[in-house]
Amino acid sequence: MTAYRLSAGGLVDRSAPLTFTFDGQSMQGFEGDTLASGLLANDRMLVGRSFKYHRPRGIVSAGVSEPNALVTLGLGARSDPNTKATVAELYAGLDARSQNRWPSLKYDVGAVNGLLSPFLSAGFYYKTFMWPAAFWEKVYEPIIRKAAGLGRAVLERDPETYEKCWAHCDLLVIGSGPTGLMAALSAGRAGLRVVLADEGFRHGGSLLSETTPIDGAPAAAFAAAAITELEALPNVTLMTRTTVFGWYDDNVFGALERVQKHVATPSAKLPVERLWRIAARRALLATGAEERPLVFGGNDRPGVMMAGALSTYANRYGVAAGTSVAIFTNGSAGYRTAADLSAHGISVAAIIDSRAESPDVAPSGTRVIRGGSIVDTKGKLRLSGLVVERAGFEEIIDCDAIGMSGGFSPVIHLACQRGAKPLWSEALKAFVAPDVGQGFGVAGSAAGLYSLPACLRDGADKAQAFANDLGFSTSPADLPVVGAEPDPSFTALWYVAGAKSKAFVDFQNDVHVSDLGLALREGFGHVEHAKRYTTNGMATDQGKLSGINATGLLAAMQGISPADVGTTTFRPFYTPVPFGALAGTSRDEHAAPKRVSPLHGWAARNGAVFIDSGLWYRPSWFARAGEKTWRESVDREVLTVRANVGLCDVSTLGKIEVFGPDAAEFLNRVYCNPFLKLPVGKARYGLMLREDGMVYDDGTTSRLGPEHFVVTTTTALAGGVLSHMEYCAQVLWPDLNLRFCSVSDQWAQMAIAGPKARLVVQALVEDDVSNAAFPFLAAKAVTLKGGLKGRLFRISFSGELAYELAVPAGYGEAVADALMEAGRAHGICAYGLEALNVLRIEKGHVTHAELDGRVTPDDVGFGRMLSSQKADFIGKRLSTRFGLTAADRMQMVGLKPIEKDKDIRAGAHLLREGAKPSTLNDQGYVSSACHSPVLGQFIALGFLKSGRERYGEKVVIWDRLRGEETLAEVCSPVFVDPANARLNL
Amino acid sequence: MASLIPCPHCGIRPKEEFSIRGDASLVRPDPESSDETWNDYVHIRANPRGRYREHWQHVAGCRRWLVVERDTFTHEVFSVSDGAVRPWETSR
Amino acid sequence: MVHQYADRHTLEGLVPADVSAGADHLAVAARQAIVVVLAAPGQEAAVAHLLASDEDLSARFSAPGEWLVISGLQTPELLHQALAALLGDMAHCIDQSHGRVLLRLTGLNARAILAKGAGLDLHPSAFSVGQSANVLCGHISVNLARVGDDAFEIVVMRSFADTLLHDLRDMGRAFDLTTAFLA
Repeated sequence: MTAYRLSAGGLVDRSAPLTFTFDGQSMQGFEGDTLASGLLANDRMLVGRSFKYHRPRGIVSAGVSEPNALVTLGLGARSDPNTKATVAELYAGLDARSQNRWPSLKYDVGAVNGLLSPFLSAGFYYKTFMWPAAFWEKVYEPIIRKAAGLGRAVLERDPETYEKCWAHCDLLVIGSGPTGLMAALSAGRAGLRVVLADEGFRHGGSLLSETTPIDGAPAAAFAAAAITELEALPNVTLMTRTTVFGWYDDNVFGALERVQKHVATPSAKLPVERLWRIAARRALLATGAEERPLVFGGNDRPGVMMAGALSTYANRYGVAAGTSVAIFTNGSAGYRTAADLSAHGISVAAIIDSRAESPDVAPSGTRVIRGGSIVDTKGKLRLSGLVVERAGFEEIIDCDAIGMSGGFSPVIHLACQRGAKPLWSEALKAFVAPDVGQGFGVAGSAAGLYSLPACLRDGADKAQAFANDLGFSTSPADLPVVGAEPDPSFTALWYVAGAKSKAFVDFQNDVHVSDLGLALREGFGHVEHAKRYTTNGMATDQGKLSGINATGLLAAMQGISPADVGTTTFRPFYTPVPFGALAGTSRDEHAAPKRVSPLHGWAARNGAVFIDSGLWYRPSWFARAGEKTWRESVDREVLTVRANVGLCDVSTLGKIEVFGPDAAEFLNRVYCNPFLKLPVGKARYGLMLREDGMVYDDGTTSRLGPEHFVVTTTTALAGGVLSHMEYCAQVLWPDLNLRFCSVSDQWAQMAIAGPKARLVVQALVEDDVSNAAFPFLAAKAVTLKGGLKGRLFRISFSGELAYELAVPAGYGEAVADALMEAGRAHGICAYGLEALNVLRIEKGHVTHAELDGRVTPDDVGFGRMLSSQKADFIGKRLSTRFGLTAADRMQMVGLKPIEKDKDIRAGAHLLREGAKPSTLNDQGYVSSACHSPVLGQFIALGFLKSGRERYGEKVVIWDRLRGEETLAEVCSPVFVDPANARLNL
Repeated sequence: MASLIPCPHCGIRPKEEFSIRGDASLVRPDPESSDETWNDYVHIRANPRGRYREHWQHVAGCRRWLVVERDTFTHEVFSVSDGAVRPWETSR
Repeated sequence: MVHQYADRHTLEGLVPADVSAGADHLAVAARQAIVVVLAAPGQEAAVAHLLASDEDLSARFSAPGEWLVISGLQTPELLHQALAALLGDMAHCIDQSHGRVLLRLTGLNARAILAKGAGLDLHPSAFSVGQSANVLCGHISVNLARVGDDAFEIVVMRSFADTLLHDLRDMGRAFDLTTAFLA
């Protein structure tokens, strides 16, 4: 036995034992344990294998900086790889598994890499796997992938739920150690809206491991009392298990709350994790300081740990990480750990102090080796001893754990995530955060204050300063009484000379001292280059322990100050954030809103097969019994409209009502064709250009009154056209007197098309809809029989006699049902988007397949719509530029295959007959194609150079993707009723 | 980019409520202006580091076009005002 | 042929009519009269004053010179007529009673529920009773009004109501949010 549970002490609940498993072995822990403390209590130090050499690795830390103890938690789809055992909260039934080993932790085949280590130096992959290129995919990568990597990602669908949430506060306090608690108390008492967030599952931070009494009571009791007071304040929000991972613009902080990561069976009512965005007027970073490892020979042996972690395991969790512990320190912190361990009855084998002299006092009876250094360690899967060197003499000391303490680095990541560079403090021998302003302060150990009284005072002072800054009055801080603490000084020690085996800098990525030396020699000495070249700090721990030592080593090797080396860039996220949490509830069908047409129920009842169309969910076709393919349904729908009558949902078109004395003038400026003289009661087809002269959108606009218009847009650009019109009205021409608003959702709109459309419409509408009373392009408010008010438009996309009837949305389904009922005698059918597309291609009407942002009005045959009479309109000036009026522009044409049974697909290229199939010979392209049941063959719309002069010519339709070449005849794009006789029935 | 935009009509809002069009200093030229003037207006854009005035629309809020003056490097927002200078407002 | 048409609520079938309200409750207005009022340029202040003077009207700010005027008592036609008479040439009134859905969220957790979708600060010091604004809730733009300390009304475009209802139920899951049509 080496590691074990102490008989007493700690903040674990010994009355609440928990059973968990590690690599299938059942173990016992207590409520309040982490997985790491639970493992140590069961004498499990070896928990993983390193990334590159597969070296055995043990628990190093007691927090988020942990490089080694990465495990996979949970089962099946719920598996969570690369979880730090040092922060994972223990719960009954927790199933944890080690990673990166095969077949087992103790006997790992990959460890052969360790024997090959002379060949696996930094940059090895870059140098070795460069050539030949073909080998990369076939040989090198599969081997590397098999050997490397940590936990395995789960391929099953993530069953967890996530959500996002906003919070707003006057002061966000990050970290609830002594500094953060005092800051939250001060600000909370002053009445500020405070959020106190801590990554741990229990508030208190370092106070939970602290042995110095506060106000005469244990530090943890002080923390508990502070939390009780804060909980009672309605203006304070306490968040545990919440990591503030990023600082963004305007003091918005990202935080991840692990809501149910610590329960065996998550409740379906709650998300498993919650992503917070916290908008804070002021924020205080109270994240403490990180103890540094020492870089000495054999420092990665399982059992070599951070000294502070040994204290934490003993004081907070009641766990001894070893029976005989050596301390290796360059400052006073190591002596504190020795005292903590001694107090728990854990034997301290020796304190090895790198300093020749120091004022620190060891527990009585403890051997102190001043001016000593560890040059090697003994043991295989577990430390069994160390080799200490002093004044040229070596000695072997038996021990099963080493507590190393290399000084402290303030945890300043968040303050430096927005470009501010950490500053080197010669006094602190550490990088500190510069003044980042913007109401984001740093306090306590994170600001380089290491004694408990100083931290308590600093937290109170800085919170009060923020409170006063925000206009809150404060009373002098009521600071607790703390006994004097020893001076927490240390002497920088970047590398322990005389190493007899590898001295690791980055445990997780297996970077050792000589790798950094190689990087320097090969010209990658810049701290950012060295990181990429050696992979130091690139693992999941992001160099929390290794970064500062790499900087110190690079400085020492060059004989310069760490200030001149600097740190690598601190970026969000401070600790990993799952993709699921970033997506929140926006996944699967909820990734975007689903817009529902007011006629949805009608369509569903009529057998609609729906399709996503932008945000809408629209009927594609209406399948009837016996129809085996979608084409059968579509052909029937098209022929029914051409012969009888059909009903189509066009509610999704954008509808904008425009009011005011200048409404007509405004429309005259946003459309390229004239609108001033549009009579009341009439609709007109309009083309909107972009300022560069290209067509933007099209639609019909109707004048319902002298100062009242209703504009329709395409479904796709309903939002864009509204924004464009708002820009024109608000920014370009604010002097025009008009107002408008979208009424898209107010109206259910139905197209009733076909030679028998009038019979159907007249059956419902009170007003006379005859050709004489209501001719093509008529538009007006109508009354339906029974009194319902609606709007009727005589417009046609299909080329048939057609009406569009709009009624208030709630009545849509009932009116559509009534139209179907009225049309039954006339053979009515519902038709969907596919039939609508066939009908409009047959008629040569354009959609955004043609109006793709590259076409001018003339390209699609609307050149005459460009008004030369108007002084100005959007796109007028640039529509006349040379390139847009060139004679060889591609113009819209119709295309018919010479062999009638040949298929045409949109996207194919057009070539001259006999030309070599090459884009160099490109003459144009196919924009829309369909099977025309009326013509009994495939037809297409396309764009062809000088196309309107080439009717009758044969061109090749070249579908490069499918390797097809089809000979086709160029023709007018209007395949059906070119004289428009059917429109005016 | 800023995380929060103080809309003069709606208050402080997250950036996802807005859409950005670009340079607010451009003035739409007279239709008779030269090709070069129009080319500059429609196609040519500076990409300045530092202070920049842009048109942003509060699409998910009041739908007003705003002028946001911000620093493209530090992301600081200096001012947000309504994009329309309306004659009846200036005359008040 | 019968020419009486049923007015179908877009959330019909998705919201029960007979659920007793829990501590946190989402009520869907079965019928509502909602008219968009657009003040004529220059008439913004006068229109705002007139709207505020009529106690039967609830005018929700959506943009400068633009309000959603809601009445629980009147039919859409009568509300539209009343507003047209009240405002005359000073404003344009557009009936949106069918184009919008009105939801009422009440309960001690109403704010916590909304914070999962909306980025504006809902603390009473920042968004007090009587205030309203257009705001993004999740992916959807809505008009949000605080009608009580723990009561909010949400007006959403009809085509988005189904998705918003789903989102709000998700957001309220932790608090056992109930939903029902408003009697």
